[in-house]
Amino acid sequence: MISLKRRAPSPVSARSLAYASSPLLASKTPPWRSRFLVVLVALGFAGLLARAAYVQIVATGFYEAQGERRFVHTYDVPASRGRIVDRNGLILATSVASNTVYANLKQFSATPTQRREMARLLDMTARELDERLSSKGLTELVLKRQVPDGAWREVRTLGVKGLRADPGYTRSYPEGEASAHVVGFTDVSERGQEGVELAFEKDLEGRDGQRGIVRDGVGRVVDNYMEAIDPEHGREIQLSIDTKVQFFAYQRVRDAVVEHKAKAGSAVVIDVVTGEVLALANYPSYHPAQRTNLNKEQFSEAARNRALTDVFEPGSVMKPFVVAWALETGRVRPDTMVNTASFSVGGKAIHDTHPHESMTVAEIIQRSSNIGAAKLAMQMEPAELWSLYSTVGFGQRPQIEFPGAISGKLRPYKQWKPVDQSRLAFGYGLSASLLQMARAYTVFARDGEVVPITMLRQEQPVAGVRVVSPQVAREVRKMLQMATETGGTATRAQAMGYSVGGKTGTAHAQEGSEYAGNKHRAWFVGMAPMTSPRVVVAVMIDQPSQGGHFGGDVAAPVFSQVVQQTLRLLNVPPDLEVRRQIMAQAPTLPDGAEVRR
Amino acid sequence: MTRAQAILLLALVFSCLALVQTSYESRRLFDEMNRARDELARLDAEAQRLEAERQAQATHLRVERVARERLAMRNVTPAVTHFVVDTAASGVMR
Repeated sequence: MISLKRRAPSPVSARSLAYASSPLLASKTPPWRSRFLVVLVALGFAGLLARAAYVQIVATGFYEAQGERRFVHTYDVPASRGRIVDRNGLILATSVASNTVYANLKQFSATPTQRREMARLLDMTARELDERLSSKGLTELVLKRQVPDGAWREVRTLGVKGLRADPGYTRSYPEGEASAHVVGFTDVSERGQEGVELAFEKDLEGRDGQRGIVRDGVGRVVDNYMEAIDPEHGREIQLSIDTKVQFFAYQRVRDAVVEHKAKAGSAVVIDVVTGEVLALANYPSYHPAQRTNLNKEQFSEAARNRALTDVFEPGSVMKPFVVAWALETGRVRPDTMVNTASFSVGGKAIHDTHPHESMTVAEIIQRSSNIGAAKLAMQMEPAELWSLYSTVGFGQRPQIEFPGAISGKLRPYKQWKPVDQSRLAFGYGLSASLLQMARAYTVFARDGEVVPITMLRQEQPVAGVRVVSPQVAREVRKMLQMATETGGTATRAQAMGYSVGGKTGTAHAQEGSEYAGNKHRAWFVGMAPMTSPRVVVAVMIDQPSQGGHFGGDVAAPVFSQVVQQTLRLLNVPPDLEVRRQIMAQAPTLPDGAEVRR
Repeated sequence: MTRAQAILLLALVFSCLALVQTSYESRRLFDEMNRARDELARLDAEAQRLEAERQAQATHLRVERVARERLAMRNVTPAVTHFVVDTAASGVMR
């Protein structure tokens, strides 16, 4: 300012106004003004501080919650249900990603073209879609479940408003109806309802995970809000089933049911070394993923696992057990002659289809003599016979990891009358399922031991429970083989290359407590190869009405085909000479070469 | 302001800018990782679906029909099978 005064006076401007000399500012301002302003500014700051304290200390929870509502998102990460695979790792059931598509009816808007396209992608008719969307009284509804990821992505590109999708999984069953009764199915919420899906629900179901994320203003995920809980996917279940054997058994049963115009059929294949069930097939069947095509009645027929749930009087299949026990206890030898002329117990006559005056014990099996079996049984104490039948599993619930397996009926021996005991010898007066019969026959296949059976893959041979001596089991095996040879009841059970043996059974089907005169059930239970049995196969055809109704005519051919294919698939070399149709030299494997099996 | 203070101020400014840059980069990378994770889940699901579909296309029913009808093949019987002894495995195989 001093220097300014020394200079020559410059033109007056607003910038160079000399305030100190300004007359306007010359008057003294009252001091309260400046104080007032200071107080005002101080109050302003105090207000800001108070607000900050309120936001940061007092109302933290509210503001944090509001922040979270806008930027934090938590969601479930769905766990996938465990797979079910066969003994070779082939998939029987798996979960594939899918979506449940919801429509918000208040926001939904789509042009007719968009609707048409949407219906196509969601695999609905335009009419179905319109009907769903015109539902009254709802804000949001499920438009379609189990929509594949690809289809949902395409729906999104249509730009229809008011649609959203929840990710999830759908069960897929690649083997379809051939293994439906084994695998079972799940409901819409992926909970097991039948078969292995139900039996192993706890192992198969996973546990959903959870993630909390923070999104920024443009919707990008920028941070974790909480430690992510990873989903626990369900455990994989490996079954003992071999899909090839299963398919083959299913196909042959189906063909037999169609050929004989039967009502239904079942087949069970058991590996006698490990006790594994290699196949358990029933016809009619259903596709586990397409059950909606069937009405309730059709479905209940198709879904019945007859091999486990249908029990019937086993008939002649029981005779070998009586003979085995008579041999075991030294009452008879295979060549002991038994008088098989007319015989009655408690005033009730027992008949044979092909009567003979007498026959050897071996012939009782070969010719399936009711009289012979009854005579042997009548030499035993009731408790003895009951104990024998119980030990091989009759009247007992099968110890198998499977729902619905029932025990059949074997009354306590104290309730038996003599006529009951005689009838039990040829399989009347008790009931059993096909699976029980197949398991019981492991006694003969395993040199006198009955084996525990399993639906799960088993690497090691399993220990059995001894019922009869190996010698007796081998003698009965010879008799069972005779039943499939000329003069026996089941010559059609013979398989090319493999020696087979088994027992047929035919009975009138039961309707309530009566026997239906014109309806039959035919079955065959046998094993192969007879030198060292590897499999037991049981086949049952219910109510065949064309081409015969005897087990030897209807069930034995199915047994033959199933046995032949199964043994080939298990790499079991033939034990019978076959007329070769190839004249090739065995190839020599180079060193280090691996044989695929 | 001394030189040391000026240097510290400058360092503080750079540190602040670096913090902003790092936090931006961290968020960008997190977003990228998240997308990659989603993609992984999607591809996993897709692989599972395709595996199931592949098997559904190669069921024994279909293979048998094609073999029989288109390739004129027939079922193997022991008469047309030549069994060889796998000496290496015969010790463990039944």
